[in-house]
Amino acid sequence: MSARGTLIALKAIAWIWAALTSSAALAAGEQIESDISSRNIAIESNFTGERIVIFGTIEKAKHAEFEISPYDIIVVIRGPEGPVVTRRKARVAGIWINRDSHTFKSVPGYYAVLATRDLKAVAKPDILNANGIGFQSLEFTTFGVQNNAALDAGLNAFRSAAVRIKQKDGLYLYDPKGVKFVGRSLFRATVDLPANVPVGAYATDVYLLRDGKVLSHNRSNLTIDKQGFERFVYSAAFDYPLLYGIIAVIIAVTAGLLASALSRRD
Amino acid sequence: MFDIYLPIAGMSVNLLVILGMGGGVGFLSGMFGVGGGFLMTPLLIFSGIPPAVAVATEANQIVASSVSGALAQWRRGNVDIKMGTILLLGGMAGAVFGVQLVKLLREVGQVDLMISLSYVTFLGIIGSLMLIESLRAIRRARAGNPIPARRPGQHNWIHGLPFKMRFKRSKLYISAIPPLLIGIFVGVLAAIMGVGGGFIMVPAMIYLLRVPTSVVVGTSLFQIIFVTALVTILHSATNQTVDVLLALVLMIGGVIGAQFGVRAGQKLKGEQLRALLAMMVLGVSLRLAFDLVVEPDELFSIGPAFGGNQ
Repeated sequence: MSARGTLIALKAIAWIWAALTSSAALAAGEQIESDISSRNIAIESNFTGERIVIFGTIEKAKHAEFEISPYDIIVVIRGPEGPVVTRRKARVAGIWINRDSHTFKSVPGYYAVLATRDLKAVAKPDILNANGIGFQSLEFTTFGVQNNAALDAGLNAFRSAAVRIKQKDGLYLYDPKGVKFVGRSLFRATVDLPANVPVGAYATDVYLLRDGKVLSHNRSNLTIDKQGFERFVYSAAFDYPLLYGIIAVIIAVTAGLLASALSRRD
Repeated sequence: MFDIYLPIAGMSVNLLVILGMGGGVGFLSGMFGVGGGFLMTPLLIFSGIPPAVAVATEANQIVASSVSGALAQWRRGNVDIKMGTILLLGGMAGAVFGVQLVKLLREVGQVDLMISLSYVTFLGIIGSLMLIESLRAIRRARAGNPIPARRPGQHNWIHGLPFKMRFKRSKLYISAIPPLLIGIFVGVLAAIMGVGGGFIMVPAMIYLLRVPTSVVVGTSLFQIIFVTALVTILHSATNQTVDVLLALVLMIGGVIGAQFGVRAGQKLKGEQLRALLAMMVLGVSLRLAFDLVVEPDELFSIGPAFGGNQ
């Protein structure tokens, strides 16, 4: 057996050991179970946004007091990722025009964090970052190599601007009181998705924490897609753009002829 | 309640608001006999529609309004097909160039700026000229002097150009170069501003080419149908920015509004009408200029990345 083969075998043993011990630990400790009120959201012509409810329960919750829960719940909803350009305006010859820009490789189109209390009080930043919780955990990496401190400092303004604008558009959300306990171990979080919510695959991660440590994690998936007429128009425009344009003209010509026939009858 | 989701613009708007906008601009275009694209596109931009979508969708709407307008002129024999075809050839070349320009500027994030600058420039110039002209006409009408008629048969530098052609319907024998150039210019404007370009073409035909006023409107509408149709198809194929649902709602509103506008226009005096229109055009221009000059609250903006490698 080669050194390489030995290494793989060792890794496999280590992995199995880790899996066994962690599942044993989980079996002993608290676990979280959760789901979303709807797993498929259809954008149709009357779509003005949608309210979703993430709910769940803590299995094997160990606390005597009814009122005060020692647990913290964090809900993270993450939409499809894609490249985003952030531009900054500057005054040139008296008018404000886009000057500098940075393209971030993969930015979630939607990102919401809801918690039982302020994230800072729930856990240390490294725990939050490792689990992708909070705006500060979002990786705004640019194209090309970026290990330059000065450049990085300049980029920060663009990063925080991207988050700020997404928040203003209702696409990024942080609600430190968004998760509510209902009774001892039942919890719920309500999120209003805006009308401009991007389509695609969403992941909803629910974390159970106690004393700053993640005890359990549960993921549900959510799909947002244009449906019916909206889907038909959208996919026609992007899959058959030339044909779409020609049909748009035919519709307009027909409307024009119709209008002229109607006005002539008067 | 009456909210409607626009598939290409990717946003929810109030159906009644969009219908009202289409109706209002349709009313004005019926009253003043203008296309209305130069009012509609800024209105759409003010209401939050992405400028590139506003421009391409408005071009689509103008196809409808110019078809019905041109038909009415055609029945009265007011279309010079030959002149219209020369204008159209230029217009098609201009449209192809304009759509490519929009694509390029969209990629570098300057398309909104170019659309605003074009509007400020052209609406500013046209609005000022119209206002001066109509105020003069009002003063003249008050003084009781008749408006001097245009003297036909005047020669200008245009008559020295080569490639002369006979335009029977317009009773002209002039070079094909000026109408071709006017067509190109208007074609570019159609692609980048979402307008028919009548507000440039009509004065250019009257004052530069000396086309008789009776055939000017019909001929320019004839050209506008085909140029805006081409602009719609090219924008759709290149930029995917035509929202048919938005265009359809605007068309419906526009048709209804225009019917009432024509009737209202017949009851009002021409000079006052033109002064009113001029002030509106100037108002839109100033509003857009204001947005360009005043420091915005948010200096940053975000948008989708094109191509991806920079």
